[in-house]
Amino acid sequence: MATPLALDLAVAGVAVGSAAALSGVGLVVCYRATGVLNLAQGAVAMVTAYALRQTVVVWHWPKVLAIACCVLVFAPGLGFLMDVAVFRRLQRRNAGTAETLVAGLGVFVLLIGGAALLWGLTPLGDAPSVLPSTPLVAPGGLRLTTDTVVDLGAVLLLTAAVGAVNRWTPFGTMLRAVVDNRRLAELSGLDADAVSSVGWAFGAFTAGLTGVLLAPGLRLDPYGLPLLVMETMAVAVAAGLRSLPLAVGAALALGIGQSELTAVHLGGGPAAVLQSVSANLFVLALVIVVLIPGRLSVPETASGLLLPGDRPRSPLTRILLQAAALVMLFGPLGLRGNDLRLLLPGPALALVLLSLVVVTGYGGQISLGQAGYAGLGALLTGAFAGGAVPGVPALPAALALPLAVLVAAPFGLLVGWPAIRRRGLALALTTFAVGTAMSRLVFQQPYLTSGLRLDRTGAWGNDRVFYAVELVLLGAALLLVRALHGGRPGRALGAMRDHEPAAYASGVNVPWLKLLAFTAGSALAALGGGLLGLGSQAFDPNAFDPVLGLLWFAAVVVFGAGSASGAVLAAVALTTVDAATTAGVSAAAVGVLALLRGRLTGGRGSGAVAPAPSPAGQDRPAAATDGAVVPGVRLSPLGRRLATRIQARGGVR
Amino acid sequence: MTARATWLAADRLVRRYGGVSALDQVSIEVPPGRITALTGPNGAGKSTLFRCLSGAERPDAGRVLLGGRDVTRLPEHARARLGLARTFQQIAVFPGLSVADNLRVGAEQAGRLPPARAAAAVAGTLRLLGLDRIADHPTSALPTGTLRLVELGRALAADPGVLLLDEPAAGLDRDETERLAVLLTALAGNGLAVLLVEHDRELVDRIADSVHTMAAGRITTDADGAGGGPHREGYREGPDGGSVADGR
Repeated sequence: MATPLALDLAVAGVAVGSAAALSGVGLVVCYRATGVLNLAQGAVAMVTAYALRQTVVVWHWPKVLAIACCVLVFAPGLGFLMDVAVFRRLQRRNAGTAETLVAGLGVFVLLIGGAALLWGLTPLGDAPSVLPSTPLVAPGGLRLTTDTVVDLGAVLLLTAAVGAVNRWTPFGTMLRAVVDNRRLAELSGLDADAVSSVGWAFGAFTAGLTGVLLAPGLRLDPYGLPLLVMETMAVAVAAGLRSLPLAVGAALALGIGQSELTAVHLGGGPAAVLQSVSANLFVLALVIVVLIPGRLSVPETASGLLLPGDRPRSPLTRILLQAAALVMLFGPLGLRGNDLRLLLPGPALALVLLSLVVVTGYGGQISLGQAGYAGLGALLTGAFAGGAVPGVPALPAALALPLAVLVAAPFGLLVGWPAIRRRGLALALTTFAVGTAMSRLVFQQPYLTSGLRLDRTGAWGNDRVFYAVELVLLGAALLLVRALHGGRPGRALGAMRDHEPAAYASGVNVPWLKLLAFTAGSALAALGGGLLGLGSQAFDPNAFDPVLGLLWFAAVVVFGAGSASGAVLAAVALTTVDAATTAGVSAAAVGVLALLRGRLTGGRGSGAVAPAPSPAGQDRPAAATDGAVVPGVRLSPLGRRLATRIQARGGVR
Repeated sequence: MTARATWLAADRLVRRYGGVSALDQVSIEVPPGRITALTGPNGAGKSTLFRCLSGAERPDAGRVLLGGRDVTRLPEHARARLGLARTFQQIAVFPGLSVADNLRVGAEQAGRLPPARAAAAVAGTLRLLGLDRIADHPTSALPTGTLRLVELGRALAADPGVLLLDEPAAGLDRDETERLAVLLTALAGNGLAVLLVEHDRELVDRIADSVHTMAAGRITTDADGAGGGPHREGYREGPDGGSVADGR
């Protein structure tokens, strides 16, 4: 009756693999139908899992009814709502990658904030299981359970069904036409909006299914499940955001691989490394696939990144912003005790957000992994202060902090180097993957975070003195950033952000400048992170969760990515709201603002992004102004037929 | 503006995409003080040649020489620092920067001028192009014709020796085209080497000192690829002798 352990482990891995495959299929289908990689996939999964728990555990609905409602109605409805309320209008005016990304992050942050508001941050261990795990007797004595079989069956069935619909039904033909060329398809009378809506609803449905399948196996909280599901983007990227069988295969392989690795036993140091790798195979896979050149052949707009609504402010607004930031920064100096302690993270967080202003606002490089560099700063500060670095004696915090910044800065090259050849979505995924890997493979590994010392002694032990130190460092950083921004380097960064090819042509050493921007960004973030760690006097990996990195990015965009005082204001606002209200309010607020901002400024268009309306008589479509007609897009046979038909009728433009 | 004599030349450039030769042993010279024009139908290889000259693309074989120096392996920004400036077919400005800052990027980053001279070059170019009144305006809200000038200004502020222009008249009205023609003629008269890729045959006929026609990846000086157009072999004419644009 005994089966080899390897086989049992493989069966166990199939369960995780199937869930990842579901999510991957949803991501790919949604991307094919809408051109948007749904960053909120994980948040939809999490919210659906919470909804199922609410209906079953709290409201005592019959399980079948609850599952049907949550997975078949609630989740697709959420996807449909996202399309109608947010993404459709972006698509209508061919919004750039950056804007769509920010919108996706807005939805993500809003859902997370909403979940935290409704259900709190405490992990819940009672998520209902969807399927009974009755043991089955399979031929050969293989130990199977019903849930594994059903999971796998569902994945294969769904993939086959999607494939069949795509290939043999009129809807599939429509889908391929819209995927090939949205504008062309619309001109020939296809309802592209309907295709998008179905894509979003289907993506959300798979997300919800993934969520309810995964939730029983872990403790449900607003951060954990979304991150887990976002890691399944590895599968979608490995499939080139194209091939469903490839996505399913990659998911199953990773699931089984992760399971098999638990059986490998090593001694000593390698064991700890192996354990962290085997627990985080999806993260590693994500890092690897985003770093493979050409895997993400996403059409990008030629012009650079100017985030929605990020245009020069009037002097009055600027003065008001700066005044508000100053008041909120210096206010806490008059507080004492617990109030002051709660606001200690303000200036430190401002430094972290300032790093995003430099990298994203000034340099135009999307960075979703800045929380990783903040965490690195805290970790290194603690390591230097605790004498955990071999060959270096334990240093006082005042020395450990600058040393940590110096050591952390070159790590910016980890994303700076890939950023040389990446833009938009590819860069966003790369930075997210690297940040997540740092969190999972370093911050959460006990063997790497032991022996840290972040307690403040001497004068820094006084909260008010420490707050003043934070203010001085923030002030110095602001002056430095301002000097940089106003001068020659600032103009070069602006050129790189606005139009990379023209920056090259003007003599800007773009690769070098990108490395510089990311290095400066990681140094600033590490400084802020070190101060965050010293403020709380402990290293808490959750304080540098990758999900927080996404929230911070959204917050910076909301307050104006190109504005240093906006970043400071965002930081103190986040800190104050967190201190004054319950968890989730700040995240929900940022989410709402991010969506509102995209909407308000959207109408007038991010016209600033497009250099000019494309002049007549050109032989190339204007990539910058026209996301639908992207050079280099491969057309399917149907798309080519449509294209010839439309050209025969007198051209698109 | 001190134009120094810089000579740009391509020597038997080859560029293939898949099995198709976009450039087949193309040689061209862009001498100082002259306006050299490149015409031909779509897909003839003009853009590829342009990108190989500017450094945006590497040829599979052949050499690009700038001022006698082999720059084939140099990236675009390094060529810019040697005095090669270019504009784009689709207007390429930095919308987040002011008009003056657009020019400053050109003057500073090419690194050919010390800071004081760079500031003077920016001021001079702004005046030359009539942009001095909107110098501090944001670039994002300007009309097409003005944007073309801003882009040209960005290229000229670097004090280049060679100027590559990719359809600079696209989107310009007749007055603007007229001013562009006068300006380019003056710049060439001052020693600048100008290469002009242009569809507007009237503009080319009027200001170009020599015209090269491309077809199917080769330079065919004896044929007009558009078919039925006037043949101009080894065309060479002073700036004063061209036909004046009289509407289409």
